[in-house]
Amino acid sequence: MKLKFFAAAALIGLAVSPGSAQETIEDKAKPCAACHGEDGIPKMPEVPNIWGQHTGYLYIQLKDFKSKSRASEIMNPIADQLEKADMLALAQYFEEKPWPSTGYRSEAADVIKGDTIDTAGMCSSCHLGTFFGDSVIPRLAGQTQVYLERILIAFKTRERANNADKSSLMETFADEDLKTMSRYLAGL
Amino acid sequence: MKSMNLRALYMGAAAAALMATSISATAQEVGAGTKYGDMTTVSQDMLNRAEGDGNNFLHTNGNYDQTRYYPNSQINTGNVGKLRPAWMFQTEVTESLETSPIVVNGIMYVTTSFNHVYALNARTGEEIWHFKHKIGPVATYCCGPNNRGVAAYGDMVYMGTLDSKLLALDAKTGKLIWEQQIADPELGYSETMAPTAVNGKILIGTNGGEYGIRGFVKAYDAKTGQLLWTFNTTPEDSTGVWATKDATGRDMLRDIEAEKAALAAQGDPYKTLGGGVWQNPAVDLETNRIYFLAGNPSPDLDGSLRPGDNLYTNSLISVDLETGKYVCHFQYIAHDVWDLDAVSPAILTTVADKDGKMVKGVLHGGKTGHVYVHKADDCSLIRFSEAMVPQENMWVLPTKEGARMLPGANGGVEWSPMTVDESKGLVYAINLHQPMTYHVESSPYPSGKLWLGGAFKVIATEEQWGNVTAVDYNTGKVRWQVKTAQPMIGGIMATAGGLTFTGEGNGYFKAYDSGTGALLWKFQAGAGVNAPPSSYTVDGQQYVVVGAGGNAQLKFKRGNSIIAFTLAD
Repeated sequence: MKLKFFAAAALIGLAVSPGSAQETIEDKAKPCAACHGEDGIPKMPEVPNIWGQHTGYLYIQLKDFKSKSRASEIMNPIADQLEKADMLALAQYFEEKPWPSTGYRSEAADVIKGDTIDTAGMCSSCHLGTFFGDSVIPRLAGQTQVYLERILIAFKTRERANNADKSSLMETFADEDLKTMSRYLAGL
Repeated sequence: MKSMNLRALYMGAAAAALMATSISATAQEVGAGTKYGDMTTVSQDMLNRAEGDGNNFLHTNGNYDQTRYYPNSQINTGNVGKLRPAWMFQTEVTESLETSPIVVNGIMYVTTSFNHVYALNARTGEEIWHFKHKIGPVATYCCGPNNRGVAAYGDMVYMGTLDSKLLALDAKTGKLIWEQQIADPELGYSETMAPTAVNGKILIGTNGGEYGIRGFVKAYDAKTGQLLWTFNTTPEDSTGVWATKDATGRDMLRDIEAEKAALAAQGDPYKTLGGGVWQNPAVDLETNRIYFLAGNPSPDLDGSLRPGDNLYTNSLISVDLETGKYVCHFQYIAHDVWDLDAVSPAILTTVADKDGKMVKGVLHGGKTGHVYVHKADDCSLIRFSEAMVPQENMWVLPTKEGARMLPGANGGVEWSPMTVDESKGLVYAINLHQPMTYHVESSPYPSGKLWLGGAFKVIATEEQWGNVTAVDYNTGKVRWQVKTAQPMIGGIMATAGGLTFTGEGNGYFKAYDSGTGALLWKFQAGAGVNAPPSSYTVDGQQYVVVGAGGNAQLKFKRGNSIIAFTLAD
């Protein structure tokens, strides 16, 4: 999976340039489309949709990619070039884009089970009833299923280490529950 | 472009290091004001006399004592069966609704999630103006994007925001007069409580006990927004007395030697120790003191990083209104590792002390499920009530795998304000029964991110429910109790009509006989009624009003309604 990311990155020459005064936010955001998609639909299913995602969440993730508290061979070097103002501007740029539909449909059994998992984990206390999130809490509704599954498991295994409490919570669930949750959320 | 300007404004505000800023109203979305009603002033005298004001509802909790007791008896046990909706107003925000409607001379002020404020004609429900705060890019808050209402004072109304600002709006038009950055939202500070206005000051605390903040109450000049004083809820020496028992005498299983070793190695944890303040202070105008509660220590479940009693978390605190200086405190649970903290607002009333002598007292409903009764002069505990909800396995220590203990971490009594009918000597509380497991796992301070030190998990296979409980605060005995189908969160109000009003997550808004607990009236609102009710009178007609918008914390059905009820002709 990582090799595939690298191949895509190398092909397109991924980098957000430090930028000149003339560079617009569109110019700065252009390289992101290589993975996250030109129309908001990610090029690879493991990649999250960031169109319409909340500014606060995207900003915090860029900050964490820069500090490497969230490890990613692709995103760490990209974020390393960004200053706070760039991060906020990019985050806001993507928030203002429309959230794209992936067309994913959840099975009825996943909806029922997902709702129970939500009750147990109190997920919607923060992600809100619609799972649309707000500010630093990401929208999960309609996120790509493969990414959701990957990231829920990554929290559990601590491969994703920039939110320790999320890891503690995911650890209380079986892998199969997390996979069910990803199928539930992707269809919302 | 407008949006970009607001981002720039936010950045500027942060850089201005908490300087009050005068803002042009053009930066906000504001509806047109009208000439409805008398929207001139709320005087200090009006606020002082609110307890006996049968027309207005001027404080979040009814009056400075915070009894939430409304003195009009037009709607009473004899006629409440004829209570009908007078009007319903739908806000543009369908999300968790916790507002306490404030009513001034026929004008009602309500807030919603995401910091909207509405001024309504209290007789008809017509909108007068609508203010929508543009929240900055980072807002870090717990348990939903809630707001619990405004304070009305002079010719302004005041609101705290999710991005940790205090706003002053023109009461007539909703235009922004000034705003003050209270603290840094990127470090986990946010405001959901309604401010309190008194003697030229606007008092507000902070949320953030789940994010490693340092809790406080601050006082601002009502006219200018200038900061007057700050009381930090975690003093530089937060060690305390190494208490091993809680307020009820139960052993909390602390390893004091290990904590002392940790203190020597790590130093005092006060800078990130939490102690958020979720609800309004009670104000004693005679002694010029305020009483409020400080919440849980950070991180919630992991005590290893915060040795000591973690003063003044989980405490009733009294400070001097003029200076913000400490007067007294009482800690319910030292070194809490369950988040069974102190959230529901303090109530001032007269209580029997241990010798039966009537003294000025303070009541607090805890997440533990006890009502605590204190002496106001020194904060000491007189008694605690019978448990209002099941308690099991207290105080088992959290484990990595999860330890089951009752109550769950939402209580007992959550942030929901209680109400007092002094004529009956009863305090009324709404409670949750929501079994949970407590999971601990140590992690370092995450710089403003969620910092629970583990996880809370609802036991989805166990039954959840709630109750409405009347407690005799002079004996601690439960006088009556009514079980509800779902855990209770929101608030409650007693009236001189002998009624107690409260709502449920399933949409029912109910009136009980305050003396007996008999259910006398109910209305299905279509969404969770999880906000404190208010009452007021216009043109000689008494109304009861409540928000029906559900609740994020307990996953209750969302809505967007403010519903006012009055007696049918």
